Amino acid sequence: MPVENPSRELILERIRAGLRTPVAPHPGPRSDAVIFEPIRNPLERFQQESTANLMECTLTSDLAGAALQLGKILDSLPAGEIFLQDDPSLRRLIELTKTQRPLRWSSEGAPREASEATVSLAEALIAQTGSVLVTAECGGRGASIVAPCHIVYAHAAQLVPDLETALGNLFRSGKLVRNSFACVISGSSRTADIEKILVQGAHGPRRLAVILQTGR
Amino acid sequence: MSETSAQEFLRKAAVKSADLVHRDIIRQGIESYDAAHLRGRLRFRDWDAARQKCREIKQEAINHLDKYLLQFEEKVRARGGHVFWAANAQEACQYVTDIARRLGVRTVVKSKSMVTEEIHLSPALEKLDIKVWETDLGEFIVQLRNEPPYHIVTPAMHLNRAQIADLFHEKLGERIPGNDPTKLVALARRRLRQSFFSAEMGISGANFIVADSGVIAISTNEGNGRLCTSVPRIHVVVTGIEKVLPRLEDLAVFWPVLATSGTGQAITTYSTLIGGPRQAGEADGPDEFHVVLVDNGRSRLLADAEQREVLHCIRCGACLNTCPVYRSVGGHTYGTTYQGPIGSVLTPHLAGLRQYQHLSYASSLCGACTSVCPVKIDLHHHLLHNRRNAVNSRGSKLGERMMFRLWRSTMLHPRIFVFLSSAGRRLLRLLYRMGLAGSIVDPMRAWNRYRSPVPLPAESFRSRWRKGLAG
Repeated sequence: MPVENPSRELILERIRAGLRTPVAPHPGPRSDAVIFEPIRNPLERFQQESTANLMECTLTSDLAGAALQLGKILDSLPAGEIFLQDDPSLRRLIELTKTQRPLRWSSEGAPREASEATVSLAEALIAQTGSVLVTAECGGRGASIVAPCHIVYAHAAQLVPDLETALGNLFRSGKLVRNSFACVISGSSRTADIEKILVQGAHGPRRLAVILQTGR
Repeated sequence: MSETSAQEFLRKAAVKSADLVHRDIIRQGIESYDAAHLRGRLRFRDWDAARQKCREIKQEAINHLDKYLLQFEEKVRARGGHVFWAANAQEACQYVTDIARRLGVRTVVKSKSMVTEEIHLSPALEKLDIKVWETDLGEFIVQLRNEPPYHIVTPAMHLNRAQIADLFHEKLGERIPGNDPTKLVALARRRLRQSFFSAEMGISGANFIVADSGVIAISTNEGNGRLCTSVPRIHVVVTGIEKVLPRLEDLAVFWPVLATSGTGQAITTYSTLIGGPRQAGEADGPDEFHVVLVDNGRSRLLADAEQREVLHCIRCGACLNTCPVYRSVGGHTYGTTYQGPIGSVLTPHLAGLRQYQHLSYASSLCGACTSVCPVKIDLHHHLLHNRRNAVNSRGSKLGERMMFRLWRSTMLHPRIFVFLSSAGRRLLRLLYRMGLAGSIVDPMRAWNRYRSPVPLPAESFRSRWRKGLAG
C-alpha cells in the first residue's frame, strides 16, 4: 500500500544542503596495506576456524560416507521431525540413511517449531571465519534457525578463502536479486549476556554440523 | 525546582562510583572484554589498516549519502519492500504504529536496536495495547527490570547471575538452582520461543544498510534477530540514515571489525542480509517488509563538516569499554540512549546541546576512546568541539568569566601568582589540620570529598627551582 512520505524530499534536501560543505581529507595514510593474512590452505583453515566456532566438521570422501555420517548425527538426536531443503542431492542422501523419522521438505513450507533438525546445502563455505553461507534457496530463512540442530551437506569445491570472495561471488551471481535473505553462519547460537559466560543454544541451534565431502 | 540533566548526572555518578558491587561487576565484564578484544585484534595482519579502510569507506558513504540511500531504496522496492523516510522520532513511531493498527498486530518481537530506543518505539506500541517482547537476552533482562539498556552491546552488563536469577524468579516465577547461567538462558529461550511463534510483527534494527545490493545487514549471536525477521508475517526495520555502506563487499572488512571491537569475536555467529519480503518460491519469510530510515537530527550533524565524521560510528561499544568515566559511573548515569564517549558526542546533536552539554565534560580527555575507535572518529576532540559550541551558543556565565579573568591576570603577573598560591597552600594546610578536608569550606571539596587529601608540599615549585638553580 503506497504511503504518503512528505519527509523523503525534506531529508534528501537537508542531506544535499549539508554536503555542500566538503570535509577536509583525513590526514591518515591510505589503506593499501594487507589487512588479513592470506589463506594458503582453505580446507585446513576452515577446519581450524569451525572448531574454534564450536561447530562439528566431518570430512567424507563420497556420498555413502556422507550418508553414514548423517545417519550417525540423526541417531544421536531425540525423536522428531527432520526439515530438509528440497533438493535432489539431499533426497538421495536421506534415502541412503534409511531413516524412519518423519520428514518435511522445504517445498511444503516453513519448518515446524518442533523440528528436531534441519538438513540443508550451503552456497559456500568460508575458510577465513569457518563459516557457512546460506541463502533463502537453502530451505528458506527458518531452515538454519528454528530447529536445535542444523546439518549442512557441502562439497570441498564450495570452499572459498575469505569473506571478500564469498560476498563478491554472491553479488556477481545475482543471488541477492532473487533471494530476500542470506546469512553467514559461524557456529551455533550463543550468548554471553550473563557475566560474559558463553552459553550455546540461546535461541537458535545448539549444534551446527558440517558434512564436508572431499570427493565426487 | 526539578533537577537538571547535569545535576542528575552528578548525583547518579556520585552514587554509582561509590557502589563497590557495581564496580566489581563492571570491572570483571570489561576485563573479560579487554582480553577478548586484544586476542581478536591479533587475528588481523594489520589492525590499523583495517580501521583506516573502514574510515575511508564510511567517509565515502556519508559524503554521498543521498546517492547511496536512493540506490538502497530502489533495490528494496524492486523486491516488493517499502521504504519510509522519517524526519523525526514521532514520524517513525507513527509509521510503525499505523502498520500495526492496519494489520491487527497484537504481539511484537524485537531484536536489539538502539534506534528504536532512541525514538521510544516500544512505549508507542504499548499505548495501543500491543505486547512488545525484547528478545535479545540482555534486552529481555532489562525489559523485565523496566530499565533502559546499560550498554550499547551488552545491555545487562551491570547485573550478576544472582541478580538475574532473582529477577527471573520474581517475574517469570521459576527459581534456577545455583543461578546456573545455562539454565537461566534456557528459561529465557523457553519463554521467548512462544512469543516468536505467536507474534505478527518482528522489529529489528540494522548494523548496516548496503546500497549496491539493497539489503540490510544484522549481526547477532543469539539468533533472536534471525527468528524476529523470519517467523512473523511482518518485518519492520528501523535504522538511522547514516548506517549506509556503498558495496556488499565492504562487509568483508566491516563484519570482522565490528565483531572484534564489539565482543572480540572474529565474526558474529549470524551475519544476516535481508532485502525484502518472502520472494516467489521461497519456503518462508514475512509477507511485508518495511524499512524506516530515521533522520532525527542526523542531517543536522551532517551539515556540520567539522563533526560529520561522528556519523561514521558503527555502534560497537569499544569507546564505552575503554572509557575511565564509563567504567566508574556506568551506563545508566548518562540518562541517554547512547552512553559513553560516543553518546556524549552524539546526544547533544540528536537531543539538544543545551540539555546535554554537560556530557562533554564527562571525560578526562585522555583519548582512549579515539585510540580504540574502529572507524577512527576523533572522539575526544569532538567533546572539545561540543564544549566550545555550547559556550558559543549560550554565552558564558558571569562567574565563569570572572574566574577566567582572575586566572588570566594571575598567570600574567608572577607576583600575584606567588601570593595566591602561597596563600592557598597555607589555607589548605590550616583546613586539613582542623579536619575540614572535603567539607563545605574546602575549596578542594570536589576532590577531597571521597578521597584522602592530596599531601601539600612543604614549599612551592618556584622555591625548589630556585634552590636547584642555586645549588
